[in-house]
Amino acid sequence: MAYDDLRGFLQVLDAEGQLLRITDQVLPEPDLAAAANAASRLGDAAPALFFDNVHGFTSARIAMNVHGSWANHALALGMPKQASTREQVEEFIRRWAKFPVKPVYRDNPPWAENSVSGEDVNVFDVLPLFRLNDGDGGFYIDKAAVVSKDPEDPDNSGKQNVGIYRIEVKAKRKLALQPVPMHDIAEHLRKAEEVGQDLPVAITLGNEPVISIVASTPMKYDENEYELAGALRGEPAPIASAPLTGLPVPWGSEVVIEGVIEGRKREIEGPFGEFTGHYSGGRNMTVIRIDRISYRTNPVFEHLYLGMPWTEIDYLLGPNTCVPLYEQLRKEFPEVQAVNAMYTHGLVVIVSTKKRYGGFAKAVGMRVLTLPHGLGYAATVIVVDEDVDPFNLPQVMWALSTKMNPSGDLMIVPNQPVLELAPQAQTPGVVDKLIIDATTPVSPDNRGNYGNQVRDLPEMNEWLDRLRQLTGAR
Amino acid sequence: MICPRCAHEHVEQLFTSPVAGAWDVVQCQQCLYCWRTSEPARRTQRDSYPDSFKMTVEDIQGAPEVPAIPPLTRRS
Repeated sequence: MAYDDLRGFLQVLDAEGQLLRITDQVLPEPDLAAAANAASRLGDAAPALFFDNVHGFTSARIAMNVHGSWANHALALGMPKQASTREQVEEFIRRWAKFPVKPVYRDNPPWAENSVSGEDVNVFDVLPLFRLNDGDGGFYIDKAAVVSKDPEDPDNSGKQNVGIYRIEVKAKRKLALQPVPMHDIAEHLRKAEEVGQDLPVAITLGNEPVISIVASTPMKYDENEYELAGALRGEPAPIASAPLTGLPVPWGSEVVIEGVIEGRKREIEGPFGEFTGHYSGGRNMTVIRIDRISYRTNPVFEHLYLGMPWTEIDYLLGPNTCVPLYEQLRKEFPEVQAVNAMYTHGLVVIVSTKKRYGGFAKAVGMRVLTLPHGLGYAATVIVVDEDVDPFNLPQVMWALSTKMNPSGDLMIVPNQPVLELAPQAQTPGVVDKLIIDATTPVSPDNRGNYGNQVRDLPEMNEWLDRLRQLTGAR
Repeated sequence: MICPRCAHEHVEQLFTSPVAGAWDVVQCQQCLYCWRTSEPARRTQRDSYPDSFKMTVEDIQGAPEVPAIPPLTRRS
């Protein structure tokens, strides 16, 4: 079931009718991005796109929208392509329970086939780079899992980080990288820069699909992403040592770029159209010097279009953002039924919960704000009853329309931390947060006139199975 | 060729197409905007480049530092 490399996954997508090869010649701009942008408007079963006839290039191979639909996300997890969003989240939760599953070192990684070092490095030779959105400052790499270690504790594999961060290509061997302060690479960089050091990094592109998912998952600082990959794929993740830095990188990557974030150096970067659906402006960002590139022969450049939601990034940041919030909330409050944190990486969070007593739902809402991922996100938290499915937005809207009375159901918590990319903040990094209690009040909170709620008939579930069978058989 | 984003005149070539003559990738040496000569005019020509994306020298010099460089505690 597990995929060892991207190519294996592309084959499965193809076999399932989820890969569209564009054989006509396309222009690098605007066609590649416009096609991926369009794919995100094709619906929940949108295919991945593969291009190998790009004007001006002789050997470009480009894959886009690889995670860009519920069907593709299901296949990435080895589930049937019809699996619903909620089923995928629940399966994710079940598999996370097996965490940690330690990775295994494996010999002869395919990316070791070719390499180039030092002054011979030219990232443009290896990757067919191109622009995504009109206002982007240059050509980006935005689906690479970046590996780094804690400089103060380099042998602690828990504190290693594997995360996806936006990277702008600045020159043949120069990159910029955005380390968002709430995420772990920023912590590694701070420790290096405090003592005037560079931070070694390995930037890995074209990974098997579970690697990209874990590299986008908010994990605790001392949790190892490869150990979650092992739990999700049902067997240990194969890794190998990057030749220059020794950092542990996925065995199956198409390309491994090694170098350093140059300590205490910043340079103008961006802007870039972000997952928030807005550009983040030109800022002075970190600088990476590339020292070595290792790559598979005829590498596939896996790239991700992001912009006005939903695009591929929303699927990639969807289920994996729900699960840590769900687990962490349930530790304190076993009444929590489900958490939907799929909107803008959890800037909106919807929590379904039983109510222990009056006011309890608001306490659950407040707890979201102080969870590790809640600190940078969770600008709006909506709490709904245990029988409202937070993944069923029409039901959530029903809850808002009948269970929410602004007099007593809205809590504004002032001046909370939030990631700087959140555009609604007046001062970047600080925003008021809102908790909306859309639950039915319970004793001793006796507000409203709810009387008896109409509930699904007890016999409904049996009929549901029966109707599904009958319609399936048609 | 001037930079469509900041109008600076010093533009360098970063890369040329593997298929000769198809396009070049060039970069402004002031704001570091990078473009391919085959892109639509709204990305390559100063008079078509959207005003809201244009950048001035003041924008570059005043750009916030992200993340902030921490104070040195000691040199190791």
